[in-house]
Amino acid sequence: MITTIVNNYPKIPSLSGGPNIRRSMAQLDEGRITLDDLHQVQDEATKDAISEQVKAGVELVTDGQIRWDDGQTYIASKLNGFSISGLIRYFDSNTYYRQPVVDGKISWREPILVKDYLFARAASERPVKVALTGPYTLAALSEDTYYHDKRALVNALAAVLNQEAKALAEAGAEFIQFDEPSILKAPADFPIVKEAMSVLTAGVNAKLALYTYFGEAGELAQQLFSLPFQVFGLDFVMGPNNYAALKSFPGDKDLAMGIVDARNTKLETVDEIVAAVKKAKEHVSLDRLYLNPSCGLEFLPRRNAYDKLVRLTEGAKRALEVLV
Amino acid sequence: MTTGLLTTSVGSFPKSPYLLQARNRAAQGKMDQKELHELELKATKEWIQFQEELGIDILVDGEQYRGDMVTYFAEEMEGFGISGLVRSYGNRYYRKPVATGPVARKSAITVDMYKYSQGLTSRPVKGMLTGPYTMVDWSFNEYYPTREAFVMAMAEVVHQEAADLEKAGAKYIQIDEPAVSTRPDEMELAARAMAVVTKGLSAFTITHICYGDFASVFDKLIAIPVDQFDLEMANSGYDLLDLLKGKNFTKTLAMGVVDVHNHAIESLEEVKASIRRGLEALPAERLYIDPDCGLKTRTVEEAKDKMRVIAQAVKEVKAELRIE
Ligand SMILES: [Zn+2]
Repeated sequence: MITTIVNNYPKIPSLSGGPNIRRSMAQLDEGRITLDDLHQVQDEATKDAISEQVKAGVELVTDGQIRWDDGQTYIASKLNGFSISGLIRYFDSNTYYRQPVVDGKISWREPILVKDYLFARAASERPVKVALTGPYTLAALSEDTYYHDKRALVNALAAVLNQEAKALAEAGAEFIQFDEPSILKAPADFPIVKEAMSVLTAGVNAKLALYTYFGEAGELAQQLFSLPFQVFGLDFVMGPNNYAALKSFPGDKDLAMGIVDARNTKLETVDEIVAAVKKAKEHVSLDRLYLNPSCGLEFLPRRNAYDKLVRLTEGAKRALEVLV
Repeated sequence: MTTGLLTTSVGSFPKSPYLLQARNRAAQGKMDQKELHELELKATKEWIQFQEELGIDILVDGEQYRGDMVTYFAEEMEGFGISGLVRSYGNRYYRKPVATGPVARKSAITVDMYKYSQGLTSRPVKGMLTGPYTMVDWSFNEYYPTREAFVMAMAEVVHQEAADLEKAGAKYIQIDEPAVSTRPDEMELAARAMAVVTKGLSAFTITHICYGDFASVFDKLIAIPVDQFDLEMANSGYDLLDLLKGKNFTKTLAMGVVDVHNHAIESLEEVKASIRRGLEALPAERLYIDPDCGLKTRTVEEAKDKMRVIAQAVKEVKAELRIE
């Protein structure tokens, strides 16, 4: 059983009084520091975010996506074929992202996340995973003024993200995760998803994960588990019925359970976490489980995000004590 | 001769630099609350005078004394704490209320300010409340077992406040629900909560809703029990008007005709054309004209210019069509 986080971690404030990204970004706006200065602060804040995860007991960390403005633009702005437009609401949350606009043929220009991955690996005493928005969700959250065909757009994105994944794997990334919350919203598009996922994963030499959140897999579950990934992430907070989907969970795959609510400050109890693991254990063996918050942690204030991770790892420890 | 095309505003107006400065000083403890309050009253008076001089029919107090529309109420209530910082986008952060116990009013929250601003003018001033669904959706919940329980408890509190406003003489009471359009599956809950809020009121009730894909939820939306819907239209290309035409819509509509997210001031001809479009969907008696949303994010001059173009456009359309 491995504890991890889904993708992002709150950028401020450092709990140890370290770097202050918010102040630095404001200073950059006022022309009082340079972009290089900001990058240095981002580096420090990334180390800080990693060390908080480690301190909380998380075993598989991310770089906290501290440099990311949001899950879409950080990727899209470094691909050919995209421009970035105005603010738009992110799912049903009270947070916003800048909408990428597809206005040309999409192609891969250069590694997007390799440098960040190498930095995080050097800064972390624990294994680092790379999480990025998957092709279907990136397409769903963008405006398409070029392809005018969802299947073509998703496939084009799958192809460039495949190149990115290969570059990451070559740089040594052992665990690469694609975030696909949007596939739960349009089950009818599953044939498009299926085709894209084989493009996305072809020839990538790393452990690959497909994460969904903000809802339940429902009737999609069985088809989802047949996609070419080793790890499947489900949100058991916003999708409590996902437990039912585990009946069909394949014995040779791993399950990542979103079991603490990353969108509410209320702390789960250790007993609740143990109970969740126990329910999953009926269908999935413990050594095939990842435990994580229900989605990215940036919906929470930093202190609450940290407390959630501490509680998650306490719960995981107790689950091992009582369930093995 | 027909009557109608009354003009109004959604709620907030920008704060003048002197007030912003004062709020900062008060936050740092360099100015006492009494002194700040005097300036808030002064600013309120200025906005009331501005609207009067412009000939606006139904006034707002401009919310010069409010920060965030949810936090303002939560801070005045029992059962709420305030969270650490959460990022909404870019380098923007805000604090969310946290329900930690049963929510209740300590005393009337908005009545004193309502009485003050109504005392400055013979024209009606709207009572302005944040609706129960939005209060809940933009808060963390550490107390109530379900969202539904939280929303319904909040509805009771908002109802009490609305009843007090009515007792104080408010003829128009607006209950803002900007969050309502984000979750179609909870529209019914929002409507049920609004029924609790408006129950037994004889005042004219209004709800303002913005930022959403209304089309998919339109039937459920217009079932919300209020006398008037105040919807943003300028920002969404007036598509909603076409939806209205096909429905058995018997309520009144306040139609946003200037975009609050844009610095540019709409031209007189543009606004007049929008009003005429509105009149194709609804008769003048049931059509009110206002900005898309609160104008607080614009500069004082931009906000005034946007109100001026609305007032002038309405005046000219009324003259052309002989509406009083
Ligand atoms: Zn609005």
